[in-house]
Amino acid sequence: MMTHEEFDSIAALNAVGATTEEEARALDAHVADCADCRRARDEYAEAASMLARDLAPVAPPNDVRERVIDSVNEGETADVIDIGARRMNPWWLATAATLFLALWGWREVGIRVAREHVTNQQSEIKTLNEERALLQQQKEKLSLEMQALGSAGTKTIALSGQQAAPSASARVFLVPEHRRAIVFFSNLPENPKDKSYQLWIIRADQPKPQSAGVFDASHGSATITIENLPVETEIKALAVTLEPRGGVEQPTNTNFVVLGKT
Amino acid sequence: MSVETITLLSAVAQGDAVAFEQLYDRYSSTLYALLLRILGNPEDAQEVLQESFVKVWTNATSYDTARGSEAAFLISIARSRGIDRLRSRRIRSDRENDAGREISTVSSFVVKKTGADDAIQSQERKAVRSALTELPEAQRIALELAYFDGLSQSEIAAKLGEPLGTIKTRMQLGMKKLRERLRNFQ
Repeated sequence: MMTHEEFDSIAALNAVGATTEEEARALDAHVADCADCRRARDEYAEAASMLARDLAPVAPPNDVRERVIDSVNEGETADVIDIGARRMNPWWLATAATLFLALWGWREVGIRVAREHVTNQQSEIKTLNEERALLQQQKEKLSLEMQALGSAGTKTIALSGQQAAPSASARVFLVPEHRRAIVFFSNLPENPKDKSYQLWIIRADQPKPQSAGVFDASHGSATITIENLPVETEIKALAVTLEPRGGVEQPTNTNFVVLGKT
Repeated sequence: MSVETITLLSAVAQGDAVAFEQLYDRYSSTLYALLLRILGNPEDAQEVLQESFVKVWTNATSYDTARGSEAAFLISIARSRGIDRLRSRRIRSDRENDAGREISTVSSFVVKKTGADDAIQSQERKAVRSALTELPEAQRIALELAYFDGLSQSEIAAKLGEPLGTIKTRMQLGMKKLRERLRNFQ
């Protein structure tokens, strides 16, 4: 089950349209029942609109305004004609009103039953959608992991625990042909709620480490997949630090939890 | 958000055509600039602008003040339709093997500044500019590729030659900063 922090991160990406369909569905299902995450989603959407508001305004040609107003008026005209036609046939209105009154009682009962049914169904659909999204994510993750473990070209790299967590370790399965690596961590101490573990790639051609993702440890273990790995350049090392929740652009400390040279 | 703005959209929701014209006059320049940035082509931008305003007219009742500002509501509708048009154009372009067109050319459209900047209060624009200026360039680029070019995280990672995790972190941090700034200026 995803945490509120994970949904917050998805909401941030969703605001600029950068989530997968599964993530967007999972977020929609979650915010239906979670006021905090709903507020976060709305605030991120408002924040994303700042990207548009920063553009210098450009006045559209005047004929666009005319076309827009005409389109709207055409819709109104259709309504007016419709209402006029009904006024020409008052007997039809009287018949409709009689039928309406006759069916009123049945309608009330029917609506009440239908509403209860719809509420139950919606609740069930919401739960099933959430479970489906979660299972889909797990399936994709497992599929990638299986692919990495079974590929003939897969290389493995061992990372060892450092002073901050001597018993921790990690094993990296590197699949150069897919530019992908999957890292399995074990014996990691639980990270505090206001902190996240962050994996860094130290490249030979870059002066600064690059973030390869943020994760939490659960019962001492964690798995993270690195996509679009820069296999064409030399990766000197992989390292993990404990950082403020959500991660940072550059490591704030050198107190490595695990470290390994390739 | 001003009381006047809320009243304007409420009036549109009740079918007030005059209020709708005022809404158009207030936001059309902002939305047109956005659609030019997304589509890079005045004809497409004008067509999608028209569709967007018709959508606003028919969907005004779905606007909920608790969810955000009126500007964000309109921008969201225009962006969504603009990105849909961009994607369908890309699919069509792929089908026609029109390999000469790069996604990046869309972003290179020059948006000319006009005096018609009455859609957004100058103080608000100043705050928006200040918030975006504070974003590290790498974060801003990643966010703009998603927001204006409709690229997925993987496409952005491939385009910038960076690991997916880096892009994801960059975008999340950028959005968190923007959200924080927005809270401050509200």
